[in-house]
Amino acid sequence: MRTGVHVCRGNWSRQEEVLLSGDYHALLPAFAAMQVDQFVLEYATPRAGELRIVGEALGDRELGLGCVNPRTDAADDPAVIIARAEEALQYWRPEQIFLNPDCGFGCFASRCVNEEEHAVDKLRSMVTAARELRWRYG
Amino acid sequence: MFTVTQVGSWPRSRDLLRALRDKQQGRLGRAEFEAVADQEVRRCVQLQVEAGVDLVVDGEHRRDNFYSFVTDKLDGTRLMSLAEMLDTVEDKAAFEEMLATLDVPASAIRNPTCTGKLARREPLAVGELRFVQQLTDKPVKVTLPGPYLLTRSMWVSAYSQVGYRDKTELGDDVVRILREELTELRDQGAAFVQFDEPVLTEIVMSEDCDRRTFM
Repeated sequence: MRTGVHVCRGNWSRQEEVLLSGDYHALLPAFAAMQVDQFVLEYATPRAGELRIVGEALGDRELGLGCVNPRTDAADDPAVIIARAEEALQYWRPEQIFLNPDCGFGCFASRCVNEEEHAVDKLRSMVTAARELRWRYG
Repeated sequence: MFTVTQVGSWPRSRDLLRALRDKQQGRLGRAEFEAVADQEVRRCVQLQVEAGVDLVVDGEHRRDNFYSFVTDKLDGTRLMSLAEMLDTVEDKAAFEEMLATLDVPASAIRNPTCTGKLARREPLAVGELRFVQQLTDKPVKVTLPGPYLLTRSMWVSAYSQVGYRDKTELGDDVVRILREELTELRDQGAAFVQFDEPVLTEIVMSEDCDRRTFM
């Protein structure tokens, strides 16, 4: 069994400007002290900072790469997901990288940030990207 | 490699939201609510399998939110709306202003307030895991609120001091409960257990980390 910790910057509103901004630098000491296999982190928005911050410090753990924004309607472009994953490959091996959205699609039942049809499209975008990535790096 | 999965929650349908509201207002029994949620989880898992997701989740359909749901499972807790909690906040105006500025609807977000000594009446997520395992052979990810988020949100001095001296003492019990849960989830065959700690960013990125937020 794997264990992981998920951290993001808020997922209750589609107004991106009310959600927090900042990279993971200040959390690195806390992350390093956590005995978990994987960090499941938001990275689909520029608010989350660069992959390098966590990559250089915690490349020995797994990364749950947040690669689609759960708060938008449009299906995320698989090419963008692939590019982000390839950037992560500078710090992690292919088997250490998982692909996931930045957060849930409905953390608060009566304040879900998306609808099912868009959520499905976003899952498909990740699956398409993963197939290509496995072909390139498998 | 490049395992595709989710962080946990799925959009709720109108049927589910109606059932959840009815359950919370005492108009719908637990078995009836679970029957509605079962249907939603079935569809959610099927959609993930069809999309080609490798590691599936149940979509948190049985949960009011990703941490408040513990009130369904733990003695010594009570589900409270933010509006209800407002009565215990010292600086009401500042709290209301924070909710408005951050676009947080006080009526939609509920808190698992600690109102006494905690005891696990039933597992937090083992039931969710078992149900998904009946639906698919795919490995299953289970999400749990992390110990920091849970302790921080549960502690509302006016209520929680009935059971605990302070937040630290409550935290010890929260950790014990989560450890027990983790062990049971492992024994039941969970592939992945994810602890959610979204408030950690609040601590390092907001100007006032001791400020009472809505989580």
